[in-house]
Amino acid sequence: MKGVPATASGRYRRIKTGLASLLLGWFFLVPFLRWDRGPDLPGQAILFDLPGRRLFLFGWEFWPQDLPIAVGLLVGAASLLFYATALAGRVWCGFACPQTVWTDLFFAVDRFCEHRRIPPVLVKITIALLTGFGFACWFTDAPTLAGRLLGGSAAPGSYGAVLIIGGLTWLLGVYAKQRVCLHMCPWPRFQAALLDRDSQVVTYQAWRGESRGRKRIPLREDLGGEPGGTRGDCIDCTRCVAVCPTLIDIRDGLQMGCIGCGLCVDACDTVMEKIGRPKGLIRFDSETNANAKSWTKTLPRPLAAKPMLFLSVALLALGAALFAMLTLSPLRADLDPQRNPLFVRLSDGGIRNDFLLHIQAREPGLSTLRLRLAEGEAGLLRLASSGDHAGSETVEVTLDQRELRERLLITRPAGADAKGRSPLHLLVQDARDGRLLGTVETQFWGPES
Amino acid sequence: MAQRERDALTGRLTTGHEWDGIKELSTPIPTWWITTFLISIMVALIYLWLMPSFATTKSLEPGLLGWSSSGELREDQAIAAAAQAPWRQRLMAVPLEEVTKDEELRRFVQAGGRALFNENCAPCHGVGGGGQQGQFPALLDDDWLWGGKPADIVQTVRHGIRNEDADSRQSAMPVFGDSLSKEQIGNVADYVLTLADKSKADSRAALPGAALFKDNCAGCHGENGEGGRDFGAPRLNDAIWLYGGSRDAIIHQITSPRMGSMPSFASRLNEESLRMLALYVHGLGGGE
Repeated sequence: MKGVPATASGRYRRIKTGLASLLLGWFFLVPFLRWDRGPDLPGQAILFDLPGRRLFLFGWEFWPQDLPIAVGLLVGAASLLFYATALAGRVWCGFACPQTVWTDLFFAVDRFCEHRRIPPVLVKITIALLTGFGFACWFTDAPTLAGRLLGGSAAPGSYGAVLIIGGLTWLLGVYAKQRVCLHMCPWPRFQAALLDRDSQVVTYQAWRGESRGRKRIPLREDLGGEPGGTRGDCIDCTRCVAVCPTLIDIRDGLQMGCIGCGLCVDACDTVMEKIGRPKGLIRFDSETNANAKSWTKTLPRPLAAKPMLFLSVALLALGAALFAMLTLSPLRADLDPQRNPLFVRLSDGGIRNDFLLHIQAREPGLSTLRLRLAEGEAGLLRLASSGDHAGSETVEVTLDQRELRERLLITRPAGADAKGRSPLHLLVQDARDGRLLGTVETQFWGPES
Repeated sequence: MAQRERDALTGRLTTGHEWDGIKELSTPIPTWWITTFLISIMVALIYLWLMPSFATTKSLEPGLLGWSSSGELREDQAIAAAAQAPWRQRLMAVPLEEVTKDEELRRFVQAGGRALFNENCAPCHGVGGGGQQGQFPALLDDDWLWGGKPADIVQTVRHGIRNEDADSRQSAMPVFGDSLSKEQIGNVADYVLTLADKSKADSRAALPGAALFKDNCAGCHGENGEGGRDFGAPRLNDAIWLYGGSRDAIIHQITSPRMGSMPSFASRLNEESLRMLALYVHGLGGGE
């Protein structure tokens, strides 16, 4: 079929198929995983709640200010990618990249439909639209979205998202295919910096393959053939070219077009088996080993210096992110001094500072909180909305929709030192058991003299 | 004028002019440009006809559409007023003291009161209500010259203080610089300075200013300087001194008193706005 690579079968094809199934399953099914967070919160295990500016990840809830965690995870993931690339070349490109997974899927559709009188374009449109739907599911309640899309009651934006992502899937997976890897993707441009001569890459063992020729030409003597034989192991069947998704000839050596998918390895091994020659004419191997003309392939060297550098960066970043995730604050509290005026003098000589208190609860189940000042800091608390002028050592507040916005007035009574600027620490406790949920640090302002 | 002729090389006409043997090709403005230009002129004429474009001696001649920016503003204001109307009705339906018990109503009052405050009160009392030492009292504190209950504040805002409004709060502190000697005034000031200090409650009666205070000041400011709200007489036994709490400042205030005035807002603000404003001020932190 024109434009569709031939089928390969073998070890790498099996790995590719298995991994693609896992990844597609992850993409399409994970949004349907449920996670009970109580009545007021979404019940989806992983949900990017864009309107609410929060991310639900199983038991975690992340807010925009938790961005450093995302940075840690992304740096970690990038370093892991570097590690894998330094070890084994473009395994990401060949096996895990969405471009590869979907392009491979569309190739499979073409092959499946070829002799079955099914128009492949219909299947592809269905897959593209399903992909758009699957993508949208990560950003809203998946079962609800499915029902609404089918029932025609979804928001226009939902249909738009499905159509746009579906259209992009079509554009990249059906139309552009290998052009994305060859011309659009930046990753091949700088991966050369990550590889060294010990990295595992798809290698044509030219020393035993050349010179190519038809099978009836006698084999070279050093390969076990006849004296005067000129042909190498390569019988120039071009199966390696036929199965290549990026349409290159691996026998030209390592090149930017090679995405390291290993399908030519499978194709060549099949042929070698048929003609009774040892497998591995094309194989994942290091350049050093190929130059050494070895019949046995080398294994990746996971502890070499360069990969180890990437691995340690990855572990450091992921460790830091994990630590931050495990010590995520149960709530966020801000105390904004209302600086107009800086302080208020009360008739008994006390000095009052007015603050805007903003609390957002992250931990589920928090409803009543107790506020108090840190040990040794004089001051009485009072919510501006309460009529109690005297104030008290502790104030209890009740959250509304996990949030609270109130004017909090803090008074240093007459006699307490309120001169100038002094540090102030507001402790936020769970009213049920007194557990400390957070401390807000700010300044208390008083008269200069 | 020379003859227009066709240029052999380009096949185009010349302008017909000739300068020292040099002829110029005729390059007229492109038709699309001319067309666009004429259409623009027509659009402008139609616009002049539709929109207010011509000034008469009195005002602008309204265009065919009758549009005006002030009319648009009035429409927007009417829409906003219509949206607020149910809230304003709800605000007037409950007694003043009970308004803030309704959480939704409290938020409406807070938002509306803040806007009204910034427009009407902030120029003197400050955006935060902090006042201005020596000029305008702070509204955040717990000291009130004319009363700090919502109804008191409504009354003060509606009619103002010491102005031409017949119902405004009126009082005047006498000028004692004429009737008391400098020594006597100093004695009174010394006495006033002890009023806030509870430890001197017993000893202050022996001060030379005690009798003078009782005769001249206690009538308005109270026996112990607790102030008199009927006259807007400030408390003298607290830490808040609008015109300064030093001995010199007190002597100055007794000798030739300063008294603030506040305009009447009855003609500017309607009843709902007065309520919102008063409750906002009441909620600043010192309301009684």
